[in-house]
Amino acid sequence: MSRNEDRLRPGPAQSRLLGWGFVAPALILLLAMNLFPLVFNIYLSFTNADLSGGVVRNIGGHNYTVLFNEARYANALTLTALFVLLSVSIELILGFGLALALRDHVPGKPVILTILLIPMMLCPVVLSLFWNLILNGNYGVLNQLLAFFHLPQPQWLTDDDLKLVSILLVDVWMWTPFMMLISLAGLNAIPKYIYEAAEIDRASRWMVFRTITLPMCAPLLGLAVLLRATDALKQFDLVMAITGPNDASTQTLSARIYQVVFRDYKVGLGSAYGVVILVAVIAVATIFVRYIDSLNRRQGKVEA
Amino acid sequence: MRLLRAVVILSYFVMATLPLAWLALTSVKTYDDTISAHAKFIPWAEAGARGDEQTAESVRFAPTLDAYRNLSKPVAGTPHDFYHYLGNSIIIGVLSTLAAVCLGTICAYGFSRFKIPGSKDWLFFILSTRFLPPLAVVVPVLVMYRWFGLENTHVGLVVLYTSFNLSLAVWLMKGFVDEIPRAFEEAALVDGYSRLRTFVRVIVPQAATGMAVTGVFCLISSWNEFGFAMTLNNYEARTVPVYFAGLQGNIEGVPWPQIAAGMMIFVAPIVLFTVLVRRHLLRGVTFGTIKQ
Repeated sequence: MSRNEDRLRPGPAQSRLLGWGFVAPALILLLAMNLFPLVFNIYLSFTNADLSGGVVRNIGGHNYTVLFNEARYANALTLTALFVLLSVSIELILGFGLALALRDHVPGKPVILTILLIPMMLCPVVLSLFWNLILNGNYGVLNQLLAFFHLPQPQWLTDDDLKLVSILLVDVWMWTPFMMLISLAGLNAIPKYIYEAAEIDRASRWMVFRTITLPMCAPLLGLAVLLRATDALKQFDLVMAITGPNDASTQTLSARIYQVVFRDYKVGLGSAYGVVILVAVIAVATIFVRYIDSLNRRQGKVEA
Repeated sequence: MRLLRAVVILSYFVMATLPLAWLALTSVKTYDDTISAHAKFIPWAEAGARGDEQTAESVRFAPTLDAYRNLSKPVAGTPHDFYHYLGNSIIIGVLSTLAAVCLGTICAYGFSRFKIPGSKDWLFFILSTRFLPPLAVVVPVLVMYRWFGLENTHVGLVVLYTSFNLSLAVWLMKGFVDEIPRAFEEAALVDGYSRLRTFVRVIVPQAATGMAVTGVFCLISSWNEFGFAMTLNNYEARTVPVYFAGLQGNIEGVPWPQIAAGMMIFVAPIVLFTVLVRRHLLRGVTFGTIKQ
């Protein structure tokens, strides 16, 4: 900071107070609406609270004993993990492949890109409700298309083995463009001269991909994967829209909370489930935050 | 290689856009056409035939705007028409967006220009609130709202969406404010402007584009939210996604043409906004971490 700038600024104590004045309103709202409910949720998980509003008693770890012994818990945990793993990896592979196809000149590229990006901006619940019409086993257009090509026409929405596949299908349709967008940014950031050098060295296509393209995109792909993983971990909207919250074959942790709290009115147990998701989300989010921090530092962009 | 690329792009493009095209087609059909076992693709009736004379096996159908007209009539079993819920979505979306952008810009300015102890930790705390799963905190929020009489109100959702959009608003705006040269405000400070006046007169106009972009992303996330809207509002401030979800089990059959017509109206502004902010999409979805 130059001496000239120093003179323009108020004294350090006053300046610090002014700075807090700017950031305080937002921080107070976040502490009240995000941090307080989180802490309150942990408290509730040790009580017998229910939605009818009776006397709240501390019952120690009882809710957790119930939770860890429930078959529904193991089921929800497995399904959520499976959903995160499958959706994120399928979206990554498709999105990255699409980005590779779209990286060089393609006629009408800006228009194509904008159109492809539209699904991820739209409302997940609204779109998946409409997918119910497309996936319907009797009059859905998907099965009619499959029939046209003489392919099997499964019952997407009622066959227990296929319900999760249907939810994955909609999720992949919505979020592949997200992976494509970030992959394209990664690909575009690779300097041309590196490829020219590889060409002079007569490196094979596969070699170039494996030693240049992939490693240089990896940091941004990691960012995309973490962002999607935290989102997929909370999956609730698509489950509610496509199969409803009670269906054991698609019940994610969030859907299980909905069932426990709003169908069985067991607030205490629901809060215990909330704590389980929070632990998982905080774990992934911590990795994410550290990752962004290291990414920023590598780009030399950190100003915080 | 060129051919492979063209095939990949074309086939994905078709798969990505077909569902949306089908939505548009469904919105101009009659109820019977939407659940026909012979999908109707072409919105032109055969020459000389009226709508009711179409053969069941035909892929053609006579388009009609009836579904759009029927949006102003309540569907059986619901107390209000579609526009009532659209109004709720607009009020809640716009108010929470304005609040989040204002608070977010002020906060971002503070972090950008002042030395705040532990600012990096605060910023990462703000970012981490974005990852809070709605269903994990909905119960405490519900209990809190009962204390203050905010359940089932527009204000309740506005406050909630404002706080949930703040992380996005602060991080995006910090990126935009950081890009404004300090020379502008220093000139204003030399002229004897107070910090607050400098902020309003110099920073806000300079950050206007950034605020608009941030506003679009906040609006989209409020507009599309479902978890809180579903669990906190059983009645009064029901938004469009919750309304549509409630129509799924309709006793008189799911009114697909009206739903599709309502969805078209509901997603149209978002499609428009997406096109408008297309250059900033990358920044928006990565919290300003990647700047194009």
